[in-house]
Amino acid sequence: MSPDMKKGTEDVTKPLLTVDRVACTGHGVCATVLPEHITLDEWGYPILDGPIPESVEARLAVKYCPARALYWQYPSVSA
Amino acid sequence: MALSIIEALDTAGLTGRGGSAFPTAVKLAAAQRAGAELIINACDGEIGAAKDSYVLRRYLSHVDHGAQLTQLTRFIPVIYAVHAGTDVEKFLLAQGKKVLPVPDRYVSSEASSLVALQHGRPARPMAKRTRLVEGGRTSDGKKTRPTLVMNAETVLRIAQIEQHGPTWFRSFGTPAEPGPRLITITGAVFSPGVYETQAGPALTDILALAGYVHRSSPALNIGGLGGSFIPMDQVPDLAYSSPSLATAGAAIGPGIINVLAPGSCPVRTIAGMLTWAAGESAGQCGPCMFGVPAVARGFQQLADGTAGPGVLHDLARHISLLPGRGACHFPDGVAAFTASAVNVFSAHLEEHRNGHCTIGQPGAAA
Ligand code: SF4
Ligand code: SF4
Repeated sequence: MSPDMKKGTEDVTKPLLTVDRVACTGHGVCATVLPEHITLDEWGYPILDGPIPESVEARLAVKYCPARALYWQYPSVSA
Repeated sequence: MALSIIEALDTAGLTGRGGSAFPTAVKLAAAQRAGAELIINACDGEIGAAKDSYVLRRYLSHVDHGAQLTQLTRFIPVIYAVHAGTDVEKFLLAQGKKVLPVPDRYVSSEASSLVALQHGRPARPMAKRTRLVEGGRTSDGKKTRPTLVMNAETVLRIAQIEQHGPTWFRSFGTPAEPGPRLITITGAVFSPGVYETQAGPALTDILALAGYVHRSSPALNIGGLGGSFIPMDQVPDLAYSSPSLATAGAAIGPGIINVLAPGSCPVRTIAGMLTWAAGESAGQCGPCMFGVPAVARGFQQLADGTAGPGVLHDLARHISLLPGRGACHFPDGVAAFTASAVNVFSAHLEEHRNGHCTIGQPGAAA
């Protein structure tokens, strides 16, 4: 299971940083803004180290993603 | 007072028969709240699957009735999604049904692909920023109407639950996985086909439905390209239920068992399946677009016996980079499938590495 898939006991009422994988073009800006949570795979696409809650830096990553691929999602949204 | 259909489905414990195993009552309640339209997925999208077309051919009036029971079809008629150009498509059109013809690609029958297609877009999975039943957006930004996509067998079960009641339904299966369910059994069996069964029986009894006789088969594949492998010598210890199958890293999933042919090399068959899978990525999501071909290449090198010392390690890393990193679960499925293949056939992969394969001819891919 990849780090992105780790969903444990986090608060389901708080949104988590999520990558829209269709929109993401692998610019890697997010990994520069949030290096403590996001690294890039060998093709340049982001690997999240686990659920990323709101923070000033995370909001900046959402703002500066050139593809508008980052967004906030409540963990209960699926399927 | 009679149970509402939602209450009946909840009491019966019906879950999606397309492989998701998600509670139908929950999904339907959300769809009713959103005023969703209904698409019945009868694409048999997984490799080897045949039960959806089986259901429509035998039980179309029941499925129609099940669709009515959802109360989603009062204003918009139910739409049947089937692969374009198939006999079941002709059959439905002859019956005057509204059909969504789906291109014959692996991920084109994923629920959100069907919704995109229904909205005039290519049949490719959508990013799920919102729930499909509440309406979403296609890859090019077009808004989609709230839509519920249900597997054909699931809709058949809805009609049966209304007719016979939740208690009847629960007289099949296990408390955790209640109800009758269909399974497609293919490969090296006497009578490949679709069988009515339930969760709980011994796995050997399930195989006996199709007259399994080839005791020398190396393994079976359960769940197709999104599933995994079970070595034949483990089969007698297992029951056809998720908790038991989980001990072998498998699941009931969409209900498909493929018994691998005894005389053909499973490793070559799997390499062929993965190479095919690499071409089936919808090419939308980077980790899938690059990761699935990388996994296929790594496995092919192992099968060819040309793998260098680092290949197994690279393959494991590429597998770990797939789950949860696509808009649909295609990469997750490929990851689990490949990890299972490497694990179950490790001894045989070692033979390939040493340049000799004792199982003979390459198997036909699926
Ligand atoms: S900045 Fe946006 S487009 Fe670039 S890698 Fe991160 S999520 Fe993808
Ligand atoms: S994960 Fe792969 S198959 Fe699924 S939508 Fe993305 S590119 Fe397409």
